[in-house]
Amino acid sequence: MSAKANILIVDDEPQIAEMISATLLLHGYAVTVAYDGAQGVEKVSAEKFDLAVMDLQMPGMDGFTALGEMKKLDPEIEVIIATGHGTMGIAIQSMRKGAFDFISKPFDIKDLLKAVERALEKKKFNDIGRAIFSTIRPEEQLRVIIDSVTRILKAQESLLVLPDKDGKPRIAVSQGLENEAARASRLEYCARMLAQSDGSGKAMLPVDAPGADKRFSDIAGLSAVKFSLFLPLVEDNKPAGLIGINRLEENSPFNEDDLQRARIFGSLVNLALRNSSLYRQLQETQGQLIQAEKMSALGQLAGGLAHEINNPLSGILGLTQLVLENLDPASQNHADLKEIEKAVFRCKKIIVSLLSFSRQEKTRVEPVSVNEVIEETLTLCARQLELQRVKINRQFSPGLPLVNADFQQLMQVFLNLLTNARDAMPDGGELTIATNLLKDPAGRELLISSVSDTGAGIEPEILGRIFDPFFTTKPVGKGTGLGLSVCLGIISRHNGYIKAHSMPGAGATFTVTIPV
Amino acid sequence: MAKKVLIVDDEDLVRNYVRRALASRGWEITEANNGAAALALLEGREFDAVVCDLKMPDLRGEEVVRQIRELRPAMKVVVITGSVSNITTPIVPGVEVDGFLIKPFGIDEIRDLLEKLTNPGPTPREEKH
Repeated sequence: MSAKANILIVDDEPQIAEMISATLLLHGYAVTVAYDGAQGVEKVSAEKFDLAVMDLQMPGMDGFTALGEMKKLDPEIEVIIATGHGTMGIAIQSMRKGAFDFISKPFDIKDLLKAVERALEKKKFNDIGRAIFSTIRPEEQLRVIIDSVTRILKAQESLLVLPDKDGKPRIAVSQGLENEAARASRLEYCARMLAQSDGSGKAMLPVDAPGADKRFSDIAGLSAVKFSLFLPLVEDNKPAGLIGINRLEENSPFNEDDLQRARIFGSLVNLALRNSSLYRQLQETQGQLIQAEKMSALGQLAGGLAHEINNPLSGILGLTQLVLENLDPASQNHADLKEIEKAVFRCKKIIVSLLSFSRQEKTRVEPVSVNEVIEETLTLCARQLELQRVKINRQFSPGLPLVNADFQQLMQVFLNLLTNARDAMPDGGELTIATNLLKDPAGRELLISSVSDTGAGIEPEILGRIFDPFFTTKPVGKGTGLGLSVCLGIISRHNGYIKAHSMPGAGATFTVTIPV
Repeated sequence: MAKKVLIVDDEDLVRNYVRRALASRGWEITEANNGAAALALLEGREFDAVVCDLKMPDLRGEEVVRQIRELRPAMKVVVITGSVSNITTPIVPGVEVDGFLIKPFGIDEIRDLLEKLTNPGPTPREEKH
């Protein structure tokens, strides 16, 4: 059998130790007794305890010293100080050293039990807090949150409702919702509550018997729910979601303690979600930095290798052509050597692309009109697009400020994006090029240009890899897999960023953001 | 009289095919596998053209080209290089070359370039063949 908690009693008076020990055992706790501070510390170093109940004045190591030592060994242990020398000064001193509570001897055993329960509840919250903060993977974190809240509030079901991309509430994770009908009714119930949440993050009033409440009585299947609590989630002082907690048993209303727990839990959850969202942002930025680093390392490598590779490649090409001159053009050998010759030209093309972002020369920056860059690029490829029955929509914002950029390099970026868009629409479609001016949260002006196609879109699984060098979806020999890597390199050098958005079947949009 | 070309490259493979490509068109070939050897050969002999790699172990190719230009101002100089980045900047700062090819290049590219450079049509030539 498992005990409710593992408790250590440290007291030099055997009768008191026995008395506490017997009471706690009776209430289902596992108990160990130590008769002085040193022994207590030793026990903590050997075994994991949830809580210690400790006297202060003991021979040898006193309670204060033992408290400090125990906290060093196990920062998670909770300690209640029980002493016959109860003064305010000693109480404050114990708290400062990390004790959870302080009770004066002689004490009513009921008071001790209450203190023990409170300490263990705090520890439970600490454990949950640690669990919630220990992961930043959203699915895992939300799962921990829902599991914990169901347990702590002794509920039969709970669900976390978050708005999806279109703002429509959906169940992110739930517990105890057995079937679709239950899910649907609880979602609707929570969605209505969410619509009332004000963004303050304060716990909302509990709802009793929602099936009989006229706000919800039209929702089928809600009569199974007897008592509900709601924890609103907040992001930037705006409602961001809701946790609904339901009890299904009659005569089990949430009491003041439950509400208190819910409040604590709610603030914990909001903090954890904020924390992980910040962490993910950090990771994303870090990822972009790593990507840029990778490119630069690859570029340097490419520059060094190109010379080494081009020499033997030149030999292969030259010797192949020399042999070709002496062969009957109708022979198989002639045909084979022609293939080798073609392969060399393909290698040459790859190396040239590779080198185009390895160039160490400085970007030649001058004030540039992005609209002009795009127009110039379009003159190069508009004809090709039209031949493929691609309609071009220009949505250029007029009067945009100039950006400091390298005209040629930006052209290279747009040429790449336009070529990809063309290749994505082999049977024709629409190409939309838009430019806009936006302000970031810090008030800096950003010039955003976007290139959208109406092609097949990009599968979510590969969306994260399209900027990787040598990643290509084009047939062998058609693309080098370096186009978007080059774009990323160029835009990074302009202190900007480039992003891809796509839904399969709904085309793709590439946005290029450059600071003004 | 056969036209004379000096091929300077430390890469045997490249010299090999350039030599054969040009020899079959009647060129008289001399080879050097480093910059110092090339300059030594130029001291005592006349060439119509030199084909010179830019990256060699002993002397920087740029320096070789500069010295060749000083020694033989009227001789045609063709630079061959495997580093594409060279096309965006003057190949040898302050020194004009007559042509360049990016490796890998084919046999007809080197043949055509040298033919064009050494048969300039109406332009008077200073060097005798």
